[in-house]
Amino acid sequence: MSPLTELTEYILREIAVEHGKESLESDENLLSQGLIDSMGILKLVSFIESNFGIKVDNEDIVPENFETLNDMSRFVEKKKNK
Amino acid sequence: MNFEFTADQLELKNSAVRFAQKKLNGDIIARDKAGTFSKELWKACAEFGILSLPFSKSYGGSDCDIITTLLIMEGLGYGCKDSGLLFSINGQLWTVQMPIFHFGTPAQKTNYLSKLCSGEWIGANCMTEPSSGSDSFALSTTAKRDGDHYILNGSKTLITNAPIADLFLVFATIDKSKGFMGVTAFLVEKTFPGIIISKEIEKMGLKTSPMSEVIFEDCQVPLANRLGPEGNGATIFNEGIEWERSCMLASDVGVMERQLEECIKYAKIREQFKKPIGKFQAISHKIADMKVRLETARLILYKVAWLKQTQGRAGMEAAIAKLYLSESLIQSCLDAIQIHGGYGYTAEYEVERDLRDSISSTLYSGTSEIQKNIIAKYLGL
Ligand SMILES: Cc1cc2nc3c(=O)[nH]c(=O)nc-3n(C[C@H](O)[C@H](O)[C@H](O)COP(=O)(O)OP(=O)(O)OC[C@H]3O[C@@H](n4cnc5c(N)ncnc54)[C@H](O)[C@@H]3O)c2cc1C
Repeated sequence: MSPLTELTEYILREIAVEHGKESLESDENLLSQGLIDSMGILKLVSFIESNFGIKVDNEDIVPENFETLNDMSRFVEKKKNK
Repeated sequence: MNFEFTADQLELKNSAVRFAQKKLNGDIIARDKAGTFSKELWKACAEFGILSLPFSKSYGGSDCDIITTLLIMEGLGYGCKDSGLLFSINGQLWTVQMPIFHFGTPAQKTNYLSKLCSGEWIGANCMTEPSSGSDSFALSTTAKRDGDHYILNGSKTLITNAPIADLFLVFATIDKSKGFMGVTAFLVEKTFPGIIISKEIEKMGLKTSPMSEVIFEDCQVPLANRLGPEGNGATIFNEGIEWERSCMLASDVGVMERQLEECIKYAKIREQFKKPIGKFQAISHKIADMKVRLETARLILYKVAWLKQTQGRAGMEAAIAKLYLSESLIQSCLDAIQIHGGYGYTAEYEVERDLRDSISSTLYSGTSEIQKNIIAKYLGL
């Protein structure tokens, strides 16, 4: 499975469900909708770290890396290739 | 598993007890009544090394590990009766110095961390606003980029140390549409144009720890004073508050131990119905409960310290520590007053001050309700 698919499935299952969302577009802004909040990001970061075997530094937690599923997927690929 | 501290660690703790008993208590009843902050005592704590404990030697720190740091803070709380002073110190240590230490550029650490470690400067953390408290990231203070500056506008309230601070760690949003990821952190000096410290807020306790509102009116902050990247403010705040929740109440474990000893002493000498009151089970059980609370609080404190030292992140355990230690502290103060009877209610016996000082512990750094929400969230609820 690609990081994009895995991230989409995880966010739908663990985070978006509380907001009544059943599907997510890869370029949908998750921050402006409040889908990912300050607690949700902690869960998401620990999922990314354990699932993709990468370390997410505190400085990485910025909108460029987490605004959309595409951003997250790009961020994971970049970290994996480091 | 080993629950022992080394002889060196215990000596450091004992030296903090001796320092506090000798230097920090003086005229505490009068200072509490007048609500006077003492810069002299602040400096004495800095000279003793309290403000520099866990930070790197390169920036004036002492490179002390976090478990030993908390043991020293526990000793300080045991010896020092000025909980307001310790509250101000803790606020600066965990929510101003620690974020600069972890997120600051070398220049920011050299400029600011060193001055905070030496006691030359005092720092304040500015998050809470009139309409955003528990929901802290719903803040309204804005930061707009303007050439080589940011312009800050908005107001902060309930800010510990604001009336005496030289440096303010301020959280503002650069883009509300990005939610909590619009929040960005800034290091604002008190001399920057547009920062206004309004009149002091009177409080129930912690009276020697000054507090006020801080207003930003087109406040100009150089780009070099942004802490961390744009949009990283929530992470910086969460990291600082996790340190605060984990460590801030270490000194109150010392307070609980002092209270327990005072209660045992009083229960042995105060006689009613021709017996020391400690012989009444109603009193001795209260004291037994105080001891159980003290021991469990201490275990939780050092467990979280160990987690922070070995693993870095400890979000749920920090919330557990904050919740349990603060609730235990308040109960311990209530018990101490009850055991002292009517005298416990008088200023002279000093336990009423402890109670007034303790009440806010279930409010600041996230209320008890918020700690429970965090714990529940970690449990998948
Ligand atoms: C002594 C002291 C020092 C402080 N120092 C600072 C400082 O230096 N810097 C700073 O920025 N702030 C500081 N604060 C402010 C502090 O962080 C806030 O008071 C705290 O976060 C609570 O916010 P609030 O007072 O607006 O209460 P509110 O958020 O309005 O809460 C009111 C009540 O509603 C409950 N509540 C709110 N939301 C929920 C929820 N989701 N679930 C269940 N219950 C909820 C709360 O638990 C509380 O009981 C300080 C406060 C005190 C008392």
